Amino acid sequence: MARKTFFFGFGLAVALFAGWIVFPRVLYVQKHQPLDFLHKTHAEKSGIADCAECHTIREDGTFAGLPPMEKCAGCHSDRISDSQAEATLVDSYIKTGHETPWLVYSQQPANVWFSHAIHVKRAGLACTECHSSYGESDQVRVYQVNRISGYSRDIWGHSISRLRRAPHEGMKMSDCEDCHRRRNVEVGCLGCHE
Amino acid sequence: MKVTRRDLLVWSAGAAAGLIVTPVPWKLLDDTSIWSQNWPWIPQPARVPVEMKQSSCTLCPNGCGLRVRMAAGWPVGVAGLSTHPVTRGALCPLGFAAHQLNWHPQRLRTVRHRGSNSSWSEAQRAFAKARAEGPIVIIDGYPGRAASSVLETFAQKQNGSYRVVEGPETRALKPYASWSGVPASALGYDLENAETVISFGAPMLDGWGAPGRFTRLWAERAAGRSDPQLRLIQIDSTLSRTAARSWQWISIRQGSESTLAAGLAAALLEQKLVPARGPIPAVSVDEAAMQTGMTADAIRELARTIVGRTPAVAIAADDNPSIAALNLLLGAVGTLGGIVRRSKDAVDHIAAGDAISSARAVLIDASVPWDFIHQTDAEVFRFAAWDGGSTKADWLLPVPGFLEELTDVPTAPALAVETYAVAPSLVKPASEVQSAAQFLATVEPSLIPAEKIIHTRCYNIFRALKGNVHGDEITPVAKFASAQKLEAQLWKGAVWVGEASPPGGIRCELKGWPAAPVLGAAENWSALWPAPVLPPLASKLYNESSLREAPDRRTV
Repeated sequence: MARKTFFFGFGLAVALFAGWIVFPRVLYVQKHQPLDFLHKTHAEKSGIADCAECHTIREDGTFAGLPPMEKCAGCHSDRISDSQAEATLVDSYIKTGHETPWLVYSQQPANVWFSHAIHVKRAGLACTECHSSYGESDQVRVYQVNRISGYSRDIWGHSISRLRRAPHEGMKMSDCEDCHRRRNVEVGCLGCHE
Repeated sequence: MKVTRRDLLVWSAGAAAGLIVTPVPWKLLDDTSIWSQNWPWIPQPARVPVEMKQSSCTLCPNGCGLRVRMAAGWPVGVAGLSTHPVTRGALCPLGFAAHQLNWHPQRLRTVRHRGSNSSWSEAQRAFAKARAEGPIVIIDGYPGRAASSVLETFAQKQNGSYRVVEGPETRALKPYASWSGVPASALGYDLENAETVISFGAPMLDGWGAPGRFTRLWAERAAGRSDPQLRLIQIDSTLSRTAARSWQWISIRQGSESTLAAGLAAALLEQKLVPARGPIPAVSVDEAAMQTGMTADAIRELARTIVGRTPAVAIAADDNPSIAALNLLLGAVGTLGGIVRRSKDAVDHIAAGDAISSARAVLIDASVPWDFIHQTDAEVFRFAAWDGGSTKADWLLPVPGFLEELTDVPTAPALAVETYAVAPSLVKPASEVQSAAQFLATVEPSLIPAEKIIHTRCYNIFRALKGNVHGDEITPVAKFASAQKLEAQLWKGAVWVGEASPPGGIRCELKGWPAAPVLGAAENWSALWPAPVLPPLASKLYNESSLREAPDRRTV
């Protein structure tokens, strides 16, 4: 009996260790951004106070997403500091005319249509409600990509169990539904899946 | 310690038990399902800035306003256009999913001749031979378009025949056309000014007419009110979706709608609720009560309710002269809130169902519902974008799909005012396709192309200086500086709306109360669309949801 308990317990312990500790490390691949963009530096030194100054919503309500190269080139057409990141930006992208291949933490699947205009302009949600205080951070997060689905870890949330998540963590459909339920806003399938 | 086979099995059992309480199975299930959405052969919209285009749906003659989300030149999402003057943002489930139709496995991509692959040149040769040997019959399911004009002109040049397949809303207006001489396509229901609508089985809140037209009126003037400004009395043999939401549901025996209409007429006259105009019904209130399953008192009460709030108009599910005669008695023909004449230019066409004496070939336009069966021995050239299954057509000819062809959108059936819109080609077809009008233009180069006809129609609207153009804002036609500017607005998704016709203009002559017709079941869009060609999203929205009535719903 003791022998059985030992082997059963040993198997159980190995599975728990593999499932909770090894699996998340194996599942996600770590990638680095092409250069270290610091939101805090831009907010403090350049006086950019509002996210919408770079992440604009167009007149027709569509979201421009990441600012194009021209926006960066407005200040960084030439190097204005001795930062290595700026050197990469100017030499590798602005001067060559190539867009910076940013890794987007909140990139949703192609069958999802999320309207920033409705959430930000009509509902008055702050950017931090979904994107945390990343806009104030002074370091670049490592981008973790799921080997199977190909999407960022931010979609699932940092907690592999999805328990005890912070309110801004996770961008799964269930997170959208929870938020809508909390705010008593009904939306049908076609609201996001047109 | 020697590890035995039994130890390994026990270890595995422990590991399996442990694995269940880790995120592994659930996370793998979730990730695999997302992975399966991204297989390389599944089309994915490009990751590019999204563009919004406005247009009109051309899948049926209702011409709903569309807001199309485009990515890299492909439509990736469709929503209703809230500025559209008729549909006001509403769409049917098929319209919502229409952008998926172009990718549908049933999409026709090659010319088919009796089940085998063929080519356009062979089809042209066969058609030219048939044309030389005898008359051609052309069948159109969406009359009034510029393309329809091309089809009709060709038929006339060939001494052939141009026929149309009419929807239930237009067929319901046929009795007024035969009594007054005004074409059914020139008539409409002025629902916007009606206060009581008596629907004899017409699915008013479930697919009747242009989506959103009546449902919006209902939501604004009636829903949730005990004494609504707009009363909908639904006469139905079962608790249909419309009946369940109506102000009052009157349950009668299936097929006794004509008798009830006659009984109501008798009750109206008996109680002197309306002046005695027109013929007297042959059925008494008691006889009607016996046949419909209602009580005589209930019919008399219903008659009083109908005239209690006027204008009142009765709407039939299909061609039913008894219900049309009831409207005559109610004074609902040619008056505000009733049956109105919206156009002076419309012409009547031969119905496609009428027998064809002799034809060498029949050309069926893509707008004709797939299930339309034509009893003929002639060679059939069937144009279609999607193959709906078994067909007796000799030739299957692929046409442009959703938003792949420039077309115009004339007035939808049953509207009280004229409208006109243009649906430009937003997408390039993926394969070699031709519409019936384009095909005929290759056979007969003297035909005026549809694009030129659209241009002329826009010019005529500009020249008439009547009505308004509904775009992001409403602009009177008189304020447009040139026809080109007006046309440009229509190409961007705006809709021209004509002026409401003054009352009158329809003089019906009816000598006796009409006999009861043989009735068909009420239809909505889903009855006309071939089942295998439903896009996945429409399947989810409609077929797998409670929106779809059970097939046995209409049996008593």
